[in-house]
Amino acid sequence: MSKPTTIPPKAKPTEQQKLTVEPAPRNRLRVLILSIGAIMFIFPFYYMVIGSLQKEADKSFSGVFPHPDNMTVTNYQEINEAIDAPRSLLNSTVFTIGVLLCTVLFGILAGYALAVMHFRGRTTVLSAVLLVLVVPFQLLQIPLYVLIVRAYGLGDTYLGMIIPFAINSTAVFIFRQFFLQSPRELFEAAHIDGASELKTMLRVAIPLARPAILNAVLLTFIGPWNEFLWPFLVTKQQDMQPFAVALANYMNNVAGRATNPDGANMAGGVLLAIPPVVLFLIFQKRFTSTNIGSGVKG
Amino acid sequence: MRRRLISVVAAAAGSVLLGGCISDGGGPPESANTSRGAIEVWLSTNPEEVAWGEEVVASWNSKHPSEKVTAQQIPAGKTSEEVIYASIVAGNAPCVVMNTAPSAVPQFQKAGGLVPLDNFPDGNSYVEGRTGTAVADQYKSPDGRFYQIPWKVNPVMIFYNKKLFAQAGLDPVNPPLKTWAEFLQTSRTLVQKKVAHAAIWPAPSSEFFQSWFDFYPLFGARTQQQLVEDGKATFDTPDGVAVGQFWRTMYAEKLAPQEKYNGDSFKDGEAAMAIVGPWAISVYKDAIEWGAVPIPTEDGKPANQVYTFSDEKSLAIYFACEHRLTAWDFVKFATAQDSDGRLLELTGQMPMRENLPGVYAGYFAKNPAYTQFADQAGRIVEVPNVPNSTEIWQTFRNAWTAAVVFDNEPIDKEFADAAARANELLAKG
Amino acid sequence: MATVRSAETERTTERDRESAVQPVEKERWLGAQPIGLLFITPYVLFLAAIFVYPLIVQFFISFKDYFFAAPGATVDRPWVGFQNYVDVIQDPTFQRSLFNVFEFMIINVPATVFLSLVLAYALNSKMRGLSFFRGAYYAPYVTASVAIVTVWLFMFGETGLVNTVLGSLAPDPSWLINRYWAMPMIAVFVTWKQLGFFILLYLAALQNVPKERYEAADVDGASTVQKFWSVTVPGVRPATTLVIILATITGMNLFTEPYLLTNGGGPNGASVTPVFYMYQKGVEQGQAGYAAAIGMILLVITLGIALVQRRVLERD
Repeated sequence: MSKPTTIPPKAKPTEQQKLTVEPAPRNRLRVLILSIGAIMFIFPFYYMVIGSLQKEADKSFSGVFPHPDNMTVTNYQEINEAIDAPRSLLNSTVFTIGVLLCTVLFGILAGYALAVMHFRGRTTVLSAVLLVLVVPFQLLQIPLYVLIVRAYGLGDTYLGMIIPFAINSTAVFIFRQFFLQSPRELFEAAHIDGASELKTMLRVAIPLARPAILNAVLLTFIGPWNEFLWPFLVTKQQDMQPFAVALANYMNNVAGRATNPDGANMAGGVLLAIPPVVLFLIFQKRFTSTNIGSGVKG
Repeated sequence: MRRRLISVVAAAAGSVLLGGCISDGGGPPESANTSRGAIEVWLSTNPEEVAWGEEVVASWNSKHPSEKVTAQQIPAGKTSEEVIYASIVAGNAPCVVMNTAPSAVPQFQKAGGLVPLDNFPDGNSYVEGRTGTAVADQYKSPDGRFYQIPWKVNPVMIFYNKKLFAQAGLDPVNPPLKTWAEFLQTSRTLVQKKVAHAAIWPAPSSEFFQSWFDFYPLFGARTQQQLVEDGKATFDTPDGVAVGQFWRTMYAEKLAPQEKYNGDSFKDGEAAMAIVGPWAISVYKDAIEWGAVPIPTEDGKPANQVYTFSDEKSLAIYFACEHRLTAWDFVKFATAQDSDGRLLELTGQMPMRENLPGVYAGYFAKNPAYTQFADQAGRIVEVPNVPNSTEIWQTFRNAWTAAVVFDNEPIDKEFADAAARANELLAKG
Repeated sequence: MATVRSAETERTTERDRESAVQPVEKERWLGAQPIGLLFITPYVLFLAAIFVYPLIVQFFISFKDYFFAAPGATVDRPWVGFQNYVDVIQDPTFQRSLFNVFEFMIINVPATVFLSLVLAYALNSKMRGLSFFRGAYYAPYVTASVAIVTVWLFMFGETGLVNTVLGSLAPDPSWLINRYWAMPMIAVFVTWKQLGFFILLYLAALQNVPKERYEAADVDGASTVQKFWSVTVPGVRPATTLVIILATITGMNLFTEPYLLTNGGGPNGASVTPVFYMYQKGVEQGQAGYAAAIGMILLVITLGIALVQRRVLERD
């Protein structure tokens, strides 16, 4: 049973305060189950790291544990020689940041408008947002390719990579849900003070939405960083390809010649996985569920 | 409801306008056929070919400063053909792609992506002069024109690991691999003596091109026929089924695994044999003491009568090219006797030039191991140049994996169904 | 108590709110705050170009024997009406692909709902190492499939770790080349990979279950399991609806994982999915019209299922 904590005025109860502290035996059981599950979840990652450091692929049970005489960084060196890591990482970064900027900028506008404002065509746009989630990207891919590369001539450009992902519809969804749940009085107070809609949005809504922005950023980041198929189609020149594509090319074509192809593949996998995981771990405390889960309503 | 309908229609109209009103222009004008200028060329990602390609490009550029060639490696995917097709559709294909697969030529041609060689006065004569009319004939399209320049061939043979063979008690100099019976028995010995995980490890997966390295070489050796002849599928014959039965035995007795190997199984010593062409020699030379023999035939034909799959790659000039005369001159430069000789030296792949052993006698004297490939290069079977060829190969491959690899269906029935479907596709055109 | 509002009730409540809050403002043609149109314009333009336009193009293509060609090339593209649709529906590979995704969803959807709720429930309490646990469960979601597939293949290959441990119990043919195990394996992989996202959804929903219910149950002397079933599960019902619908959509649109894990079609077509088949037909074999028809049919089926699910699950 949790003790009632005093909630300071104007602040929502923090997550810590909302959590229940259970009596010790139940807690231990919980921890045990979670640990077993967590180990099973993490095991492939662990195995991937071990495999990437192996000199010779060792698929036996003892291969699960690192053997000093079977360890090497050659796999990583081979990748470094085969692909231009700094350049492709730069491309990935530009691609991802481009998408994040567009999503946050235009997504907040859209989310705010859809949540708070009334205007003609609002429900149509809402339905479109939901429909976007249902359609697989592969259906849109080829006409989109013709449009962007042929009609707009944006092949081998950052813009061409960014445009199909520019505004993440899930983020729009998140922003909308967030603003739906925000107390209307805040916005109305601004109106009464004589602020226009634009000022209201800039001065009141956006500062308020910082948690939602963080969540949207973390969710949206995953998409372009890991995206392989679209940049692969759109870029012909190797120095424009993002990291995910460069690695996938390596794994499909060059890894077969490495001394330990499996190890080389796994080294590639580790390299690709590190940035999102690290970012996530850093921010995951702030990745509070209160805001994501507003997807519960509507 | 009506308001909703109006806004939906407005949105749709708006987006069609947005998308479609940007005109995408046509292709280059007719004058491109006689125009000269800077061009772009794509190479494959094979390291040895890249080395050769860069040498050739540098040499050309020093001689033709006003017609500079920029070379780029084809961004590879599971198949580079998807990338090339995408660039054809986008209108940004390069002038020359060095590594155009002959199986993709029908599709590229249908898309209007290739330039026929008779646009150039010496187009046809050059190709036939270099390669020989008989061999070159397999590379003409159904309309009788050349849309590709046959460039290099990698006649597929059986590579075997001499050390593993010796360990298994088999003769490493003259291994018993001539007849099907011998081949099977040798494979059993190899696996039973546990010298390798598999006797041979062709990829059993369902990509359409994998058949070129299990079914097609043996079928070609047996019948000298392409998959399609005179507009009809040829594999649902007793010959085709027999080849299927042979491989079924290999899979049933676990002499060849049913799962794809990640990497090169022969190089890693997991398989004692490989069915591959001479490009692989540069991969194996330090790791494996290898030998090579022709594809086995059921009754053991003499080596000089055994045909095989070509694993050929062509050069092609693409429609989007605006300086086609330069492109054509560059192609002739890259396939001239010196360039072909350098290709042979650097990559070990056979240029499609008549009388190879004679023209490059010096090379073959220094590298006798390659002589048998040069010899084999005169007896090759190519993939059929027919419409819908990719889909036909995929149909066949689906039948193959179901019946031969996994024994889920009887071979003759699967082949018959696949042939029926293939004939439909051929008739459709 | 969190409720899921359907579009209709939302409009009614909004109209009520409008009349309640701004009784004086006239009903203008563009709505009460037309500047909202301005705010929404970038997003609408984006949707129009990236979403509506390609969809319409595909819609029209599906009625033709279409083929993408070079600009300036003349290609015959005859109108074939519904022929593509008829062919697709009768195509055994397409039918198999539908069967495969249903097989996938039968495993994936219940497993996802159950595991993500249980794990969210377990993670919803103060304990040591909470960050570690959360990181562990989210990590697969955050990584690219391309990256993580290699180790999965390494583990579940014919000579991989799992088979080595299982010894003679290992299935033959091995997991991913076995036509009965291929799709279930993919289901396990995707469930594992996506769980983090759904745990998040449930964690949020759990915050909205009123404390008093748990206290009331405690007063009645309920055990943890009983509390879970009688308080938690009904309490997060709207989230469950969302999880089911999202997981279903993911399942219907499955492409990357079968493509990477089983080289496309899998043994004897055991892991072909509709989207993969669409890709094979459209991109590899250049039959754009046929592929577009596959896409349209898939879209209709997915929408239908999602709508049915919403109706069934939202009945209070």
